[in-house]
Amino acid sequence: MKKPTYSIESPAAPLVQRNWWVYVVLTLVCLVNFVPYLWVVMTGFMDGASASSATPAWFFTPSLEAFHYLIVEKGIMKNFFNSVIVSLASTFFSVTIGMFCAYALARYDFTGRDDVSFWVLTNRMMPPVAVLIPIFVTFQTAGLLDTLVGLVILYTAMQLPFVVWMLTGYFRDIPRRYEESAMVDGDTWFAAFRKVTLPLMMPSITATSIFVMILSWNEFAFATFLTSTQAKTMPPAIMAYSIGADIRWNVLGAAVVLITAPLILFVLLLQRQLISGLSQGTVRK
Amino acid sequence: MADIEINSLVKQFGAFKAVEDVNITVNDGEFVFLLGPSGCGKTTTLRMIAGLEMPSSGRIAIGGRNVTFLRPRYRNVGMVFQDYGLYRHLTVFGNIAYPLEVRRLGRVEIASKVEAVALTMQITEVLQRKPDQLSAGQLQRVAIARMLVRDADVFLMDEPMSHLDAQLRGQMRAELRHIQKSVGVTTIFVTHDQLEAMTMADRIIVMKDGEMLQFATPREIFERPTTEFVATFVGEPQMNVLDARLIRLEGRIVAMTEYFAIPLDADWAERNGLASLIDTAVRVGVRPEHISIRETPDADHRIVAELYSFEPTGAENLYVLQCGSVMVTTRTSTTETAHLSKDEGSSLAARFDPNWIYLFDPETGRTIAQAAGSDVSREEI
Repeated sequence: MKKPTYSIESPAAPLVQRNWWVYVVLTLVCLVNFVPYLWVVMTGFMDGASASSATPAWFFTPSLEAFHYLIVEKGIMKNFFNSVIVSLASTFFSVTIGMFCAYALARYDFTGRDDVSFWVLTNRMMPPVAVLIPIFVTFQTAGLLDTLVGLVILYTAMQLPFVVWMLTGYFRDIPRRYEESAMVDGDTWFAAFRKVTLPLMMPSITATSIFVMILSWNEFAFATFLTSTQAKTMPPAIMAYSIGADIRWNVLGAAVVLITAPLILFVLLLQRQLISGLSQGTVRK
Repeated sequence: MADIEINSLVKQFGAFKAVEDVNITVNDGEFVFLLGPSGCGKTTTLRMIAGLEMPSSGRIAIGGRNVTFLRPRYRNVGMVFQDYGLYRHLTVFGNIAYPLEVRRLGRVEIASKVEAVALTMQITEVLQRKPDQLSAGQLQRVAIARMLVRDADVFLMDEPMSHLDAQLRGQMRAELRHIQKSVGVTTIFVTHDQLEAMTMADRIIVMKDGEMLQFATPREIFERPTTEFVATFVGEPQMNVLDARLIRLEGRIVAMTEYFAIPLDADWAERNGLASLIDTAVRVGVRPEHISIRETPDADHRIVAELYSFEPTGAENLYVLQCGSVMVTTRTSTTETAHLSKDEGSSLAARFDPNWIYLFDPETGRTIAQAAGSDVSREEI
């Protein structure tokens, strides 16, 4: 039989996938997300006059006036380090405590387990403003107003439900076999957890930590009400310094650069961990 | 190396009895199989021996030491899990070395032990790979290597071969049996595959609904099953079991089904006291290989049936016969039945070998009479 010289083609399925529209959509999404941020950053490098002028300009002579005002005159770096301490500490505590809660919820079958996890979830449903006044009074009584310790405790408590929910799912994805086989091999439960489960959980824990840290870093409402001079974090500080009788747009822009720069750096550095952690349980297998 | 003694072991999950009154004595170096359908409590039993599950009551002793409520690490057992339980974040070497590192052995000693066991399991070339880069067969070997590397008293295997394809499983059966016998460590193996159990075991425990039905050698399980369940669970294709009634016909006791009579051996009927069971309902069991077929009926081959389907398997032919609503599977060597018709619907004559007929109680499922051909005296242990 003669070999066919033609190749079989199906008209319905073109050889090259022409999904150019995906790129159009992606470009649009990127523009919508990026242009406002670009504008704010540009404003941060303007002087007071051009920042508040009625005709927006794309080209201007950059000035560090706003940064000088924030860092030297107002000492915003103190607020910056407050934010660093509060978000790092609350992330550490909420992830450490939440990890064990999540492990218990994922692994052990105890009476009221479903109630506990539902209660944890409902904590996230309540708007934080609803408890602002009770918490203010509590902090006043406990002498925690305007202290970093107070904020760390509060943020840890606020982030715990989120951590528990994220990690419970991830723990469920790790078969119990791993720990059991380590225990049969001669490990204690805790050694099995530390040497087998934790390394497998690392991407998920990292992803959760990043989320929690971003949430703590950006928290505004409680920080505004519970701090005044000593423990003020970045978000309320920015508000206080840039918005007075009128809004100083260039100061606001500079402050936005200061508050977002560490986050952007952080996420860029841990991008791979973040993505692999988020996709765990769906892509894997 | 040790023997295992289990007395009246019970495990309850709430109201559900997963394991009920299991009594097992496994001798040192023996290869014992827990066989049963899924959900019969065999894995739970194994997990209780490993210490991953605590019994509700009963006693487990390994090497004379009561370990009933000890934690797994104090039992010195090695285990292979169904999905292998290999650590994704460690290399094959790290996985095999893990139990040794837990015991704080020296680096050199660990390396030499791992090398040795890797050589036995033929996985030396994959030692530096991660588990997700291995094939199912290699994963299986790594899991077994990890169990072999420590000097455990007892090996436990929980359906380790269920993820392998049929060909590999055949190889592994021979290999595992060989390794178990050369290492000589008492091993308990859980499986739902009767072929695995029959081919590899020294003794088999058949379980159903948490209860232990029979604990015997493969041959005894096959030839002298204590219940209808054991008889039909073991053997491929499974034993034919027909509803019948014992009657007296022309002075002889026969089992009368709805459509035909099955003549029984007179001596055997007398020995088993079948005369007292006349006119009672029984279940007649006969294995496919104990039915012979002919083209036309003769003095022996009196049961005329229609061919329902013909299944050649190579060396053997399976003829499924239909007589009324009764289906009977037969198994004969290809050379013997080469001349027979293979067309569905053609008529054939069958004979049930009277030496290999079992009778079961339709209510309790217990065996009333073992086949005459299955003589315990021929049993070699």
